[in-house]
Amino acid sequence: MFLQQLINGLTLGGVYALIAVGYTMVYGVIQLINFAHGEIYMFGAFLAYTFAGTLGVPFYLAMVLSMLCCAGLGMLIDLVAYRPLRLAPRLAALITAIGVSLFLQNLARILWGAQNKPFPHAAVPAYLHETALRFAGVTVSYLQLFMFAVTLAMMASLHFIITRTRYGKAMRACAQDRVAAYLMGIDMDRIVTATFALGSAMGAVAGVLVGVYFNVIFPTMGYTAGVKAFAAAVLGGIGNVPGAMLGGLVLGIGEAFGAAYLSSLYSHGIAYAIMILVIVLRPYGLLGKREGVKS
Amino acid sequence: MTGVTSSRPRLRGLFAIAAVGFLALLLNACGKEEQAIPIALAGPFTGNAAAFGDKVRKGAELMVEEVNARGGINGVKVKLLIGDDAADPKEAATVAQRFAADARIPIVVGHLNSSCTLAAQPIYSRAGVVELSYGSTNPRIAENSPWTFRNIYRDDVQGPTVARYAQTILKLRKVAVFYDNDDYGIGLKTGFVDEAKRIGLTIIAEEAYTRESTDFTPQLTKIRAAGPDAIFISGLYNEAALIASQARKLAIRTQLLSADGALSDDLIKIGGQAVEGLILSVPYVFSEEDPFAKRFKEKYGEFPDSWAGQAYDAVGIAIAAITAVGPNRAKIRDWLASRTTKEKGYQGVTGLTVFDEHGDVKKPVFFATVKNGKFVPAAQQLPNG
Repeated sequence: MFLQQLINGLTLGGVYALIAVGYTMVYGVIQLINFAHGEIYMFGAFLAYTFAGTLGVPFYLAMVLSMLCCAGLGMLIDLVAYRPLRLAPRLAALITAIGVSLFLQNLARILWGAQNKPFPHAAVPAYLHETALRFAGVTVSYLQLFMFAVTLAMMASLHFIITRTRYGKAMRACAQDRVAAYLMGIDMDRIVTATFALGSAMGAVAGVLVGVYFNVIFPTMGYTAGVKAFAAAVLGGIGNVPGAMLGGLVLGIGEAFGAAYLSSLYSHGIAYAIMILVIVLRPYGLLGKREGVKS
Repeated sequence: MTGVTSSRPRLRGLFAIAAVGFLALLLNACGKEEQAIPIALAGPFTGNAAAFGDKVRKGAELMVEEVNARGGINGVKVKLLIGDDAADPKEAATVAQRFAADARIPIVVGHLNSSCTLAAQPIYSRAGVVELSYGSTNPRIAENSPWTFRNIYRDDVQGPTVARYAQTILKLRKVAVFYDNDDYGIGLKTGFVDEAKRIGLTIIAEEAYTRESTDFTPQLTKIRAAGPDAIFISGLYNEAALIASQARKLAIRTQLLSADGALSDDLIKIGGQAVEGLILSVPYVFSEEDPFAKRFKEKYGEFPDSWAGQAYDAVGIAIAAITAVGPNRAKIRDWLASRTTKEKGYQGVTGLTVFDEHGDVKKPVFFATVKNGKFVPAAQQLPNG
């Protein structure tokens, strides 16, 4: 049972991690907590539902299309809602983010209806729902393996982009010191746009995976997931990408064990309790670095 | 030029006549609208129980349409005023404030969710208007207030009946329980567990969850280790469907049991293959030949469920009350409270409604199962059920 719970926790934790990197990247670059990120995740699920279920696009292609659309949506949100406020006080952008989140939630309600929707069975390759491994009383489905694989692949490519490419270097430079980066000739707006696109694509993948895994999607699904991923990002040290990944996994596993060994009623509470505990003991998060105050 | 000027007064006169005529029409229409007796219908028409609300509205509208086709109440038409509580107690209180303050409304038919009915209760009581619930099964509901009535059984009847069914008919011995942490889920679970213990069923786990949870695998993994014969889900259709499909994914093949909260086409839509064979207690199951079911299907192109029938009957009771004593809030309450014998009871499509001293009814509990993606009566019913 211990092992099974660990696998359940890892599956969920991987998803939290995928969403959390979106929060943390945007925060790293423009110090904005993008509360609309949970809604991007929700849109990812609904777009894949429309592509695969309604339009009959093959599942894997639908997933890629949903990623692309959400990347576009992320860029659009930045352009319309956040860019005009780049030099405004941070609180203005934060409140705008909450507004965007509400707007997207209600837009989804209008587009797809308020009711819970099952992810159409026919649209998902049947083998995904079958059991892949069975050992020592543990069952792992192909879908879980697929989720691990996708999460790992996404994380690896993100890590590559950030550490090995020019864009990644520019992004890190912006995160370190915006003014100095600007003086070095880095186009701030382009970097921010790319960051939104990348983070949103990751969020969309998480949405599709969860939609298929739990087989249900609904317009408010982004709220809880978003808040938890935000907790994961803070847990790992906001602004720190590997920290967000670690935070997501810790949160997922903590929740699974909490539900299994304490009480399922408190599984949400346990996630936040872990976050608070870490913040109290390590105010900069698990992998966060102590920063001097920027002038 | 002269032609034009001379035609002006005539044109103006024509306009005046048209305007007066239009105004008269408008007033006439308003007058008629004003005359119709508004019956308030409260329920979850959006939100996480919206699938119930859809059937409820259709059932209620069918009753209103049929009554109006027969000439209404003593020649006066009836209309529905819809109040959406979104299955949220906070919204229910807002809806209740609005209905209670509107003096034209003689009676409120609603709410569906027990938590909503309870949240709205003090508001209706203070205003002195009857709240007639067609779907709230929490035991405390009718006892709490002289203004609350219902035409559905209580969970301390439903829960124990499910337990007895599990033991005597399904011959189960070890049951795990999942319950929604709200007034409905807890009330029903308590009824089930108390009776189960009394008749010798073993409860191997009791797991609570909150509405809109989507991950039940940790609890199911724990339950699987205990090896139950059955899982009883005391909650609503969305979560029941997810629990079922996640249980099947974890290779838990035990009998699934639930109650009327799971009775919605959305259970099958979301649960798919995983809910095949699930057995649930329901207020009523319509057969294909049922005259009400036929009328319903003719109008909406779909088959009615218990909730459509319950709402149809509840609106019917409200109309019977208004017919008997007029649209007077206090008189309606007294009239309903006096429906205490079989002869005075209301014979609806879901059975006979006779109130006891609290405003509760004694209606039987039926059992249904999911077969080939449809709800059908279970092969066996409890003898007294």
